[in-house]
Amino acid sequence: MLAQVFEAAGLSTVMVTSMPYWSEKLGVPRTVGVEFPYGHMLGMPNDRDMQMKVIRAALSVLEEAREPGMIRELEIEWPQPFDEAKKDWQPLEPSPIIAMMIEQRRKAAEQARGQG
Amino acid sequence: MAVDSFKYLPGSIAAYYRNLAVEKVEPVPWTPMKKPVSEARFALVTTAGIYVDGAEPGFDQEGERRNPMWGDPTFRRIPRDVRLEQIGASHLHLNNRDVQADLNIELPVHRFAELEAEGTIGSLAPTAYSFMGYQTNTSEWREKYAPDVAGLMKDEAVDAVLLTPA
Repeated sequence: MLAQVFEAAGLSTVMVTSMPYWSEKLGVPRTVGVEFPYGHMLGMPNDRDMQMKVIRAALSVLEEAREPGMIRELEIEWPQPFDEAKKDWQPLEPSPIIAMMIEQRRKAAEQARGQG
Repeated sequence: MAVDSFKYLPGSIAAYYRNLAVEKVEPVPWTPMKKPVSEARFALVTTAGIYVDGAEPGFDQEGERRNPMWGDPTFRRIPRDVRLEQIGASHLHLNNRDVQADLNIELPVHRFAELEAEGTIGSLAPTAYSFMGYQTNTSEWREKYAPDVAGLMKDEAVDAVLLTPA
C-alpha cells in the first residue's frame, strides 16, 4: 500500500518482505521475498554480510525490473532452529487483538460448558 | 526454494490470511528508475514501529489497548545518523529486542551509509521514516500519511525507496 502511494507520487520502490504472497495479490511494484521471521526483513542482528546480501538483491531488482510485479525470492536459510525463531519474533505479551481473541474464546468455552 | 509466506505465523492466523479476499490494485502504480542505482538517492521506510526516543513520541500503544481493532497510523522521522541507543520501539505485535540490538535488520541506515561510501548507491537521504505496521484499515495511510511521507522524500530529492514491512 505504501509502495503504491510512493510510486504514484513518482518514487521507485522495492519492498523486502517475508510475505511475497501478498505482493502478487495486492500488486506490489517490486519485491524481494525472504523466508525470515517478522521484524527481521534484512536478516539477523549484527550479521552485516547477511543484511548486505538482501540489500544488494533489492538494489538489483530496482535496476532490472522493467514492469510492475517483479518478485525475486532469496534462498537464504534462517540460521535459528524453526521452533525457536517462530517464538522469538513474537511479543512477550500477546498483542491487544490476540488477547481479546483469547478472552473471547475463553468466554465461549465457558458458556458452552455452562450449557452442557 | 519457494518462500513460505506463512511459515512463522501461528496456525489460526495463517488460515485467516490464506482465506482473506483482497482486491488487487490495477494497474499497479509504477515509476521506472530514472537513473542507475549508483546515481540514485535512496530513502528508507519501515513499518517496524520504531522512533527516536526524546525527539518524537512513540506510537500510541494506549489507544490500541483501548481499541484493539485500531493501530496508530502516523509516522516518525529518523535521521540517517541516528545512534542505536536513541531508538525506541512501540510495536505491540513484535518482540522489539532485536531491532533495538541492531537497527539495520529493519532500517538499514548504517548499511546504506556504507553503500554510499563505496559508491554502490548515489546517496542516502538525510531522513528515514517509520510507520507502525498493525493497521486494520489503511485509509488514513493512503489518504494522508503516505502522501505526506512521499512529499517529504521528494523535498529531499529522493529517487528510490527501500521498504521493509516488519
